[in-house]
Amino acid sequence: MTWIWNLLIGMLAGAAPLALAAMGGLASERGGVINIALEGNMLIAAVSTALVAAATHNPWLGLAGGIFAATCLSWAHWLLTQRFLMDHIVSGMALNVFAMGAANFLSKQYTNPSAGELPVLNLNLYFTLAILLPFAAMLYLKHARGGLRLIAVGSDPAKSRQMGIFPDRVRFLGLSATGVCCGLSGALIVSNARYFTDNMTAGRGYIALAALILGSWRPIPALLACLVFGLFQVLQFQFQGSQLLGVAVPREVWFSLPYLITIVALAGFLGKSKVPSGLGRY
Amino acid sequence: MKIRHWLLATAGLGLILGALYLAKVSPLEAARTLFQGTLGSASAFSGTLRETSPLLIAGIAVFIALRAGLFNIGAEGQLVVGALTSAALGLRFPGPVGLILGMIGAAIVGALWALPAGLIKAYRGGHEVITTIMLNSVAVFVTNAIVAGPLRDTSQESPTTRMLSDQTRLPWLFKSPALEISSGVLLGLVLLIAFASWLKSYVSGYELRAVGANRRAATLAGIATKKTIVWSMTASGAVAGLAGGVQVMGYTGRFYSDFSPGFGFNALGVALLAGGSALAILPAAFFFGMLAKGSAALQILGVPKGTSFMVLGVLITVFAAVRYRKASMESAS
Repeated sequence: MTWIWNLLIGMLAGAAPLALAAMGGLASERGGVINIALEGNMLIAAVSTALVAAATHNPWLGLAGGIFAATCLSWAHWLLTQRFLMDHIVSGMALNVFAMGAANFLSKQYTNPSAGELPVLNLNLYFTLAILLPFAAMLYLKHARGGLRLIAVGSDPAKSRQMGIFPDRVRFLGLSATGVCCGLSGALIVSNARYFTDNMTAGRGYIALAALILGSWRPIPALLACLVFGLFQVLQFQFQGSQLLGVAVPREVWFSLPYLITIVALAGFLGKSKVPSGLGRY
Repeated sequence: MKIRHWLLATAGLGLILGALYLAKVSPLEAARTLFQGTLGSASAFSGTLRETSPLLIAGIAVFIALRAGLFNIGAEGQLVVGALTSAALGLRFPGPVGLILGMIGAAIVGALWALPAGLIKAYRGGHEVITTIMLNSVAVFVTNAIVAGPLRDTSQESPTTRMLSDQTRLPWLFKSPALEISSGVLLGLVLLIAFASWLKSYVSGYELRAVGANRRAATLAGIATKKTIVWSMTASGAVAGLAGGVQVMGYTGRFYSDFSPGFGFNALGVALLAGGSALAILPAAFFFGMLAKGSAALQILGVPKGTSFMVLGVLITVFAAVRYRKASMESAS
């Protein structure tokens, strides 16, 4: 039975950063803010976690630094989309590009710990959070006043305003949560590798976005999608170099699967997706 | 510009100056290096043109989609598959035939890579940005797998194809030891002028702009909105694919893994910077080309290469905040 255990552990390890980031995306998109900047948030969190932890020799401060950096980037997204009324996609894109540059700049400018020397927190902390957070999000969205307001703002910002809820204030809180979740995700990625390399999030912010879409912007289905993507990642290691039906399958096929499934889902072949109707509106 | 736009621009400038300060380079020195490394000599100018040409063509690609109200974030992926196609065809059919086939093939494959995004947007309502982001990743994986597998030049350390023969490559427009100008630049210019005049004075160009300006009004005016969305996305993909073809056949002469250093994303910046006018793509592309070339020169001064991406992010932000605002009422639907 050990192999099943190993499979599950591997799946969880692959899914955890995705699930954390997907919850970040949820907090933003359920409030009506399109957020393709998850990737940038995670990257800036990863580099900040590594640099702060290496400088202070304190993993908790590292995590705090990562969360702070990602939250700042998220606030920038709020400022640009809600105050400057900039297109959400353009803002997210620009922030991604900026974060990619800033991560490279910071890692070159300050001492990047060499491989394996980074003080890190126990990874189980992150894994537990990754599993618990979606359930907490589900309960919060269903029963708490804040969660209901978030959904109201994300469904119809104009009507919410008439009801006395300020969409931009609710969205500010939502985007702050995005920053915290992406911060955790980026910190997990860098803690797992124990040093920072350029572009180390490797598109996982986009996969998290894909999981969110596959899960129709609901926390538990999104978590399940992340687990499936985590499973692909394990299978890719398992099947590496081996043959499937007599053909050597390049590992890139496994890498591509999450994206391909999302495209099929977007094409509406996997049931109707329920997009928050106030997405991108004011 | 309102006060808050000035504030935003100031904040952006502050970020860049702060980064230069941290890198211990004075802004004046950086500016001089940037100028020297991009326009200071004939060879530097050749390098700038080399960086400009893919950005010019890919910029046109993004611009086509943008005028139809679509964000083609997928230019990156379309460019990469186009580049691989032209390399494969050029190696299979050496000589001028391969050159022409390679260019046409690059455009066709680029168009096919964009087609799903257009179809899903028009008929299923799936956001084209999400689709093209997914297709970008798939494009990188697929091309990397092919260049590491069937097309690999086994004599080389890293995954790459063989070099194209000289007859299979775009001729030099001008070539001296210092100054080289590829005909790829000319191709880009011709494409730009053709595209600008088409957009201005042809019915289909007008329909494209109408759909981009107001989709509902365009439908009510009798324009086949959905078809327009599909073909504008496809045309955008074809031009992006062509940009990849020009990059291979005009400059690199081969395809290698992780081919694009972010041409597609830079192209988005070019198209946004160009704003409403098609001909403004040229100065915008040249400016971004200078930035790309100059960042290599700045790296010698000790400014990390990421700085150019920071500048890019700030530029897109400031320009989009001032010029490309829209209360995107229908962008989500």
